[in-house]
Amino acid sequence: MNDASGARQRVWQDLIAVADLEKGDVTPVSLGARELAVYDGVEGITVSHARCTHGAANLCDGYFDGRRIECPLHQGLFDARTGAVLAAPARLPLRMVEARVQDGMVQVRL
Amino acid sequence: MEVKTPITQALNDGVLTRQDLKSFMRRSDLPAFRHLAGWIVLLAATTALVHATLGTPWLWPAMFLHGIVVVHHFALQHECCHYTVFRTRWLNDVFGTICGLIIAIPHQYFRYEHCDHHTHTQLKGRDPELIELPISVWKYMWYITAIPYWRSNIGGMFARALGRISDADKTFLPKEAHATVIAEARAYVAVYALILAGSVATGSTAALWYWIVPSLLGQPVMRAIRMTEHVGRPNIADMRENTRTNLTNAFVRFLCWNMNYHAEHHYAASVPFHALPRLHRKLKGYVHVEPGGYIGAHREILRQLTGRTPRADLRAEAGE
Repeated sequence: MNDASGARQRVWQDLIAVADLEKGDVTPVSLGARELAVYDGVEGITVSHARCTHGAANLCDGYFDGRRIECPLHQGLFDARTGAVLAAPARLPLRMVEARVQDGMVQVRL
Repeated sequence: MEVKTPITQALNDGVLTRQDLKSFMRRSDLPAFRHLAGWIVLLAATTALVHATLGTPWLWPAMFLHGIVVVHHFALQHECCHYTVFRTRWLNDVFGTICGLIIAIPHQYFRYEHCDHHTHTQLKGRDPELIELPISVWKYMWYITAIPYWRSNIGGMFARALGRISDADKTFLPKEAHATVIAEARAYVAVYALILAGSVATGSTAALWYWIVPSLLGQPVMRAIRMTEHVGRPNIADMRENTRTNLTNAFVRFLCWNMNYHAEHHYAASVPFHALPRLHRKLKGYVHVEPGGYIGAHREILRQLTGRTPRADLRAEAGE
C-alpha cells in the first residue's frame, strides 16, 4: 500500500492463527513470495525470514529451544528473539519481522 | 532463491513429516552421558590391556585394539561438531575440543571444513573432505596406511600454527575465522609441546604406548571406515546416491556413535546420534544402504578399482 507521496506504507497483515502454530516450536508460513519463520518462544511469538543468512537453509527445519534457532544444515545459531548471531558459521543476523498478536492472530508489519 | 537442503528435499518428497523430524531432533543430555560412561569403561579396558601387556609381544595387538578405540574419538568429535551429542550446547564444544586434542583434529577448524562437506557432499573440487575413488588398488592401500592423512592433517595444523592459511582452506574458511583457527592450531601445538616436554622431563614413555603408537596403528581402521561413507558412490549432488549407510553390529554402532547411518545423518544433520536408528527405519528405501556393512562397501570399492563394476566417479563425468 502506498501513501500520498508514493512511499510504500507498512501495514499490519494477518499471518497465521496462534492456534495453528507448532506449539513451542518454529512454524513455516508463506506470505506472498516471502517465506517466514514464526517462533512460539518462551518469551512470546517472534517472526523472522525463514532463510538462514549463512547457507540459505530453511530455519523452520532446524532445532528451536524456545529462545534460539539452530540451522538444520550447519548448526549455526541465532537468537530467535532478536535475530542476533550466536554461533558460527553464521555471521549475518537474521532479518526479523515486526510482529504482534491480535485477537488470536499473529500479525506482521512488512 | 530456492535452496534444497537434503532435509527440505526429504520433507518435500513426503518420506518424513515435520512431526517426525521434530521428534527425531529432540535433544537430551541423558543418552550422551550414558554412552559416554560406556565409552570411558571401554577406553579404560583397552588402556588396562596395553598396561598388562607392556614388555610382552602381546603389546602390539593390545595397542592396535586400544588404537581402534582412540581413533574413534573422531566419531564423538564429529557428532559434537553438529551439536547433537549434548542438549547443553557448550558441552559439545568442550568434548569436541578434548576429542580433537586426542586425535589431532582442531575442533573449530574441523567444524568449518565439515560445514562445506555437508553443503557440497561428494562434489569434486568443492567438498573439502572428499576422498577420491583411488585410481588403483595400490593407491587404495596407500590411503589406508593413513600416511597421506597424517601428512596433510599434521602438516596443515603446523602450517596454521605458523600463521599460514592454505588456498584450499580459504575455500571454506571465511576471513573472520582465520585468526580463530590459527590461534586454535597454536594452542593444540602448545599442548602437544607440553606433553612432550613433560614426558622428556619425567622420562615417561606413557604417551608413546598409550596414545601415539596406538593412534598410528588404529588410524588405518578409521581411514577404511571413512572411505565407506562416500567413496565408490557417484560424485553427484543427489543425497540418495552420493552417500552410503553401512549396516553393522551393535558394538561397532556403539564405537562409531551410530555414524554408520551416514546417509541418514546427511539428510538431517541436526538429528542426534541416538535417534539415527529411528531415522534409518523411517528413510528405508529412500537412501543407499550397504547391507554387507563396511566389508561390503570395500568389496564394492575394490570391484570398481579392478574393473568388475563401472567406476562411480565416471557417472558425474558422463553428466548424470
